[in-house]
Amino acid sequence: MIPQPSRALADLAGKLVNDIAPETSSTYAAANTGMIAMLLGALAQDAERAVASRMDDIDEMQRLFTTLGRDCDPDNAEARTRYVGRQPASLRLGDVDALHQDGMALLIAVHAWAEDHDPDLDRSIWRLLHRHTERNRLDLG
Amino acid sequence: MHPALAPLGERFVAYLSDRWQEPLTLTGIEQIPGGASRETYRVRVDGPGGSRGLILRRDPVSSLIDTERALEYRTYQAVHGTAIPVPEPLILEEDPSHLDRPFSVMREIAGCESAVAALAQPPFDGLRERIGERKWSLLGQLAAMDPGQLGVTGFMDVPDHPARRELDYWAGVIDADALHPQPVAQAAIRWLRRHLPAPSARRCLVHGDYRSGNFLFDAEGEIRGVLDWEMAHVGDPLEDLAWSLDPLWGWPERTLAGGLLPRERAIAIWQRASGIEVDREAFRWWQVFASLKGLAIWISSTEDFVNGQSKEPILAVAGWVMTDRQNRILLDRLDPASTHDYAEPLL
Repeated sequence: MIPQPSRALADLAGKLVNDIAPETSSTYAAANTGMIAMLLGALAQDAERAVASRMDDIDEMQRLFTTLGRDCDPDNAEARTRYVGRQPASLRLGDVDALHQDGMALLIAVHAWAEDHDPDLDRSIWRLLHRHTERNRLDLG
Repeated sequence: MHPALAPLGERFVAYLSDRWQEPLTLTGIEQIPGGASRETYRVRVDGPGGSRGLILRRDPVSSLIDTERALEYRTYQAVHGTAIPVPEPLILEEDPSHLDRPFSVMREIAGCESAVAALAQPPFDGLRERIGERKWSLLGQLAAMDPGQLGVTGFMDVPDHPARRELDYWAGVIDADALHPQPVAQAAIRWLRRHLPAPSARRCLVHGDYRSGNFLFDAEGEIRGVLDWEMAHVGDPLEDLAWSLDPLWGWPERTLAGGLLPRERAIAIWQRASGIEVDREAFRWWQVFASLKGLAIWISSTEDFVNGQSKEPILAVAGWVMTDRQNRILLDRLDPASTHDYAEPLL
């Protein structure tokens, strides 16, 4: 077992960039080696936080949905109520991601409704999206 | 020459010898990185007329941008010989039997650079402003050309409402290719639908991907070739200008468009060359649209990498890294409480 997969991926990315890419004989191979190293760096960041960042999003969406009345985006009010009580089937990324996607679909619907009916809610959702985007930000130098 | 490429090179030269009816020999072939929509090779052949450099562009197994090769080739034919420098188109071969997939051939423009990062080092250092001047001047000249006189309206639609057509197309790409819900993209689509500008009076040939990396410049500061016309279409002149100014093309630099010039200066150069005064309200729409179109391309490339046959790293980089950056830019542009960490306010 690799106890720190993100560290291992980052180390492999460094190996590719610093030692292997300079040894390649074609610009095509060197460019692709650089891109794969960049992707390993992205994977290293995402592997470390993927479940946590999705769970944070889910938590934020559930808290937001709890505050909304049934007259807010009424077509999805029942689905939102059900969503608030849900937990992922497990902490495997696939299960967490499935619940995250269900929440995001509901968030898109309520955001569209808020744009026409509730400017404060619209602004709140933009702030939520800002935090969501920052949680998933890739810092690649 | 990499041994793995020699068989392709030999088949290509056999094809050329037959097509041009002259004995040719292969002296070099190398794949050019970053060819997201076509496999691109630099090929050198010797023959009775001397040594020739050619660019071979072969359809990929899978592509970042679903494009029509014939449309791109005919666009090169239309633009070649005008004030806009492009590689000379030589052959369009749509029969896949020769090289397994259709391909086109251009004359190589040698001795040039395409990466803006090269402007930091000799022999290109000191040319940043000059290249920027030429870049937006050429784009303005393209906008000033009559697409009918160029001949592109013979094979391109002339839309009644360019903004609506482009939005419908790229929103459709997102709907078709998104592998998970895209809340920022969907908010942008709604914003764009609510703020759709009236159809502009002018129509021009829109390059569709006019940005840093898609033109060749030399050590004298001249742009020698505008490349990658696969998304060309007839549309609104502001579309290319907005795309060229998207913050992604200078990332992480925010103030220099495409890493070259301040945005207002680029706009002034474009206005002078095109003779078109930028309608600022319409231009705000096109700036948001440019970021959405970028996001659509990255979302589509993600789908291509996951479900397609090609596992080219550029598809994954586009799908992963570019999606992250473009999401941040788009959010910065639309969030009412934006602190503009990634994109300057809309012009």
